[in-house]
Amino acid sequence: MHFEKRRANTKTEIPTSSMPDIIFMLLLFFMVTTTMREVEVLVSFKLPEAEAIEKIENKRLVSYIWVGKDKRVQINDSIVKLDEIQNIMYNKRTELPNVIVSLRVDQSTDMGFVTDIQQELRKASCLRINYSAMIKV
Amino acid sequence: MIKKKKIPEASIPTASMADIAFLLLLFFLVATVIDVDTGLGLTLPEIVEDQVEVKVDPNRMAAVLVNENGDVLINGQVVPVFQIKDMLKSRIASKNDLPKNKKMIVSLKTDRKTIYNVYIAALDQIKLAYFEVRDEYSNGKYGKKYSDLNEEQQADVKEVVPIIISIAEPEAVKK
Repeated sequence: MHFEKRRANTKTEIPTSSMPDIIFMLLLFFMVTTTMREVEVLVSFKLPEAEAIEKIENKRLVSYIWVGKDKRVQINDSIVKLDEIQNIMYNKRTELPNVIVSLRVDQSTDMGFVTDIQQELRKASCLRINYSAMIKV
Repeated sequence: MIKKKKIPEASIPTASMADIAFLLLLFFLVATVIDVDTGLGLTLPEIVEDQVEVKVDPNRMAAVLVNENGDVLINGQVVPVFQIKDMLKSRIASKNDLPKNKKMIVSLKTDRKTIYNVYIAALDQIKLAYFEVRDEYSNGKYGKKYSDLNEEQQADVKEVVPIIISIAEPEAVKK
């Protein structure tokens, strides 16, 4: 008796026509899931708007200070007190001598508080600052 | 019996499509600039132990005062925030030909209770005034905008129109 081999003449190729779709799906998945932020912002703030805006070319030099609506100050990943700013910023400055401090301050903050922070920065001799603002349309 | 002519299969080769998609992906990965930080730059003064008071010629000084209600006062005159630029521009431009130590100084002073938003708006106006004077000067001399000049020319314009903004410490609110 002769047995015929089953599926002997089926093609063994893998269909590649759907490969780009799969890759596009991957691309889309990563596009949707990536978060660009390196630190989690713990305070809520709304930046002011301005027209005479400059871009900071060198992103490595930038160090952020967030000030929220409730006057909480965040540096790196934690909420800090006003009198701790000097030490933290001084340490940052020793690592990066020409650090630019970007102040991301909520627009409803009063100037007294902002000045206090600036005084702390002066004490830590971080003199290059940048008031972060959105482009006014 | 008519034999049907066999139609040759017409297909586009799709095997390289994946590579094309990868190339696209790579191109966008390389070309995207993520979240450029924008804002108003400023350099704070150093802390000096014993401060020396220097008398400044009132002619080269424009004092911009902002109170807690957001009212703006320039040299004793109340102006709306969006007019600060026009008020300062002519005064800054008039000092273009003067030597370095006679250029315009704009002093911005706020109250402790002034809202940050108003402060930024005022600072923005002052900076805009300086930028526009720079643009006008470079247009007159080089026929180009300041941002299109090369480094040497930019340095020249900076020399003629230096941005001098003095941020005064806010006064304590009287109770």
